[in-house]
Amino acid sequence: MVTICCLMVLLSGYLLCLSFTGPKAPATPVTFVVPAGWPQPLYDFKQNPLTTQGIALGRKLFYDGRLSKDGNFACAACHQQFAAFATYDHNVSHGFNNSFTRRNAPGLFNLAWQKDFMWDGGINHLDVQPLAPITDTLEMAENIDTVLNKLRADTAYVRMFSAAFGDEKINTLRMTKALSQFMLTMVSANSKYDRVMRGEDSFNLPQRLGYEIFQKKCVACHAPPLFTDLTYRNTGLSVDPYLNDMGRMRITRKPEDSLKFKVPSLRNVVLTFPYGHDGRFYNLMDVFEHYRGGVVAGSTTDALVKNKIPLSNFEIGQLKAFMYTLTDSVFLKDPVFSPPGYENRTPLAPGEHLHRYQY
Amino acid sequence: MKTKNEPLVKLTTLKTRWFALLCGLICSVPCLGQLTQNRETGNMLKLTFNNVVAGKPLALRQDYTNSFGETYSVIKFRYYITQIQMIDSSNMSVQFFPDDYFLIDAGDSSTRTLNIPLSLKRLSYLSFLVGVDSVANVSGTQQGALDPANGMFWAWNTGYVMAKLQGISPAAKSPAHGFTFDVGGFKPGENAARKIEFVLNPTTKKSKAIHSIVFNVDVDKWFNGTHPIKLAEHPGCHEPGALAMQLADNYQTMFSIESTAK
Repeated sequence: MVTICCLMVLLSGYLLCLSFTGPKAPATPVTFVVPAGWPQPLYDFKQNPLTTQGIALGRKLFYDGRLSKDGNFACAACHQQFAAFATYDHNVSHGFNNSFTRRNAPGLFNLAWQKDFMWDGGINHLDVQPLAPITDTLEMAENIDTVLNKLRADTAYVRMFSAAFGDEKINTLRMTKALSQFMLTMVSANSKYDRVMRGEDSFNLPQRLGYEIFQKKCVACHAPPLFTDLTYRNTGLSVDPYLNDMGRMRITRKPEDSLKFKVPSLRNVVLTFPYGHDGRFYNLMDVFEHYRGGVVAGSTTDALVKNKIPLSNFEIGQLKAFMYTLTDSVFLKDPVFSPPGYENRTPLAPGEHLHRYQY
Repeated sequence: MKTKNEPLVKLTTLKTRWFALLCGLICSVPCLGQLTQNRETGNMLKLTFNNVVAGKPLALRQDYTNSFGETYSVIKFRYYITQIQMIDSSNMSVQFFPDDYFLIDAGDSSTRTLNIPLSLKRLSYLSFLVGVDSVANVSGTQQGALDPANGMFWAWNTGYVMAKLQGISPAAKSPAHGFTFDVGGFKPGENAARKIEFVLNPTTKKSKAIHSIVFNVDVDKWFNGTHPIKLAEHPGCHEPGALAMQLADNYQTMFSIESTAK
């Protein structure tokens, strides 16, 4: 009798729950794993809990050209996995109608720890970040309403939004939260450097020497584990007269922020060339040459680089060896970040086809 | 009963403002009813925003002349209303709606009327914010009236356009003589949201609560409400800062009560 009563209570409780939540199966929660020893992420996951369905939707959106005006420019068009989600080998990226973007596309990883976005920090939340490239006439050149209507017209999206958020409503909030969910999972913490720090591997001699030089001459701005301190600094790049990019001053309108740009992460740095906010440095050597000889000392130039950074050819060689240890090959080839449907045939890394299709 | 042009006193002293804020903080009751735009149900306070120029209803794409003799016509006129607060001073009860946002659009008459659930016995004070509070500017993507798809959002420098006035003026030295005042900014020192306050006509204890307020929202104040802003000198405002703050000071003065009804 007692058992029956209990069962009745349980059943009615279940039905009551069902009446509140609807018959739809709730999305499957995904736990965000903070790498050992890392700080807590800044992103508020309570406002956008990760789910399998939300991440899958974000991934589909990230690779969908329909987010752009002519269908050619998905997020992934400029953020390529094999380049750590930067644009491989492009100083600036290509956008709608043969346009060039005004700045170098940064790699996308470890976004959960970032407070501001873009080189000038103009965007204050990851969720609203995609709205800038989607609406920028030099990039995806689309308007938000049109994007949403394209998604609403696609039954696959209606199903996926429903699975991720509980009903079929498709709006800006849900689209951008799904994109955030996918991008938040892009955590790069598995380079050789990380393995060495975890005691699972060891540097060879040049890497170890490079690490020591790095800790003396670079670490003040490129602080581990993110390899950026996320500050804005003028590293003494002369103003390009065609771009006339004043950096952070455009956002804060403070003269002291003139020519300041966000310190980029050095994770996967070997793959994110060219370097600098406008991609003016074609390779690492150009960057080293800049710091040891090319720094323009202006009124806002950072004190740490104003008098140039003394670097011998030997030191540069060792530093380069260390930089290679920041490449996270697990991240670069992880099938969970590949285009939907490409899980088992990850797009080839640049140059790799030369080796694979030899007869 | 409808009284035309009731004498009104604006709350101006700092003391009263702090007092009102304190009341708001202490007595804020979670709103039970749902605020609606252009829908009437239950015991409601109806707020109507009549967009006008010099006392006459605003007609889009019609020529007007501002106090500097500049001819202009309006193509777009939109502004956010939020943080509606109502006080019954006889028993110090307060109703506050900090999370409800409305976008009034001169191009869409259905947005002109707001219906607020009214639980106060009498209404002696009303305030609202023109614009969007700073919290909503830093909390990621929003929905409803605040959906960035509504075109009142800056993507490259995160923040809401609090109010927008766009049109054409021969005086504007710009392509096609267009003028575009997109006013925003939420950071300290450049916050373009403005609080609008009204002390409603003192009523006796026996009198009934006001159930309808009609506001006149005078577009012309954008040019001369507090600061003189000539179209010949300023055909556009597209970022937070000094000009946005002056325009905000100006649109703070554009609201007046046309009539109230019980």
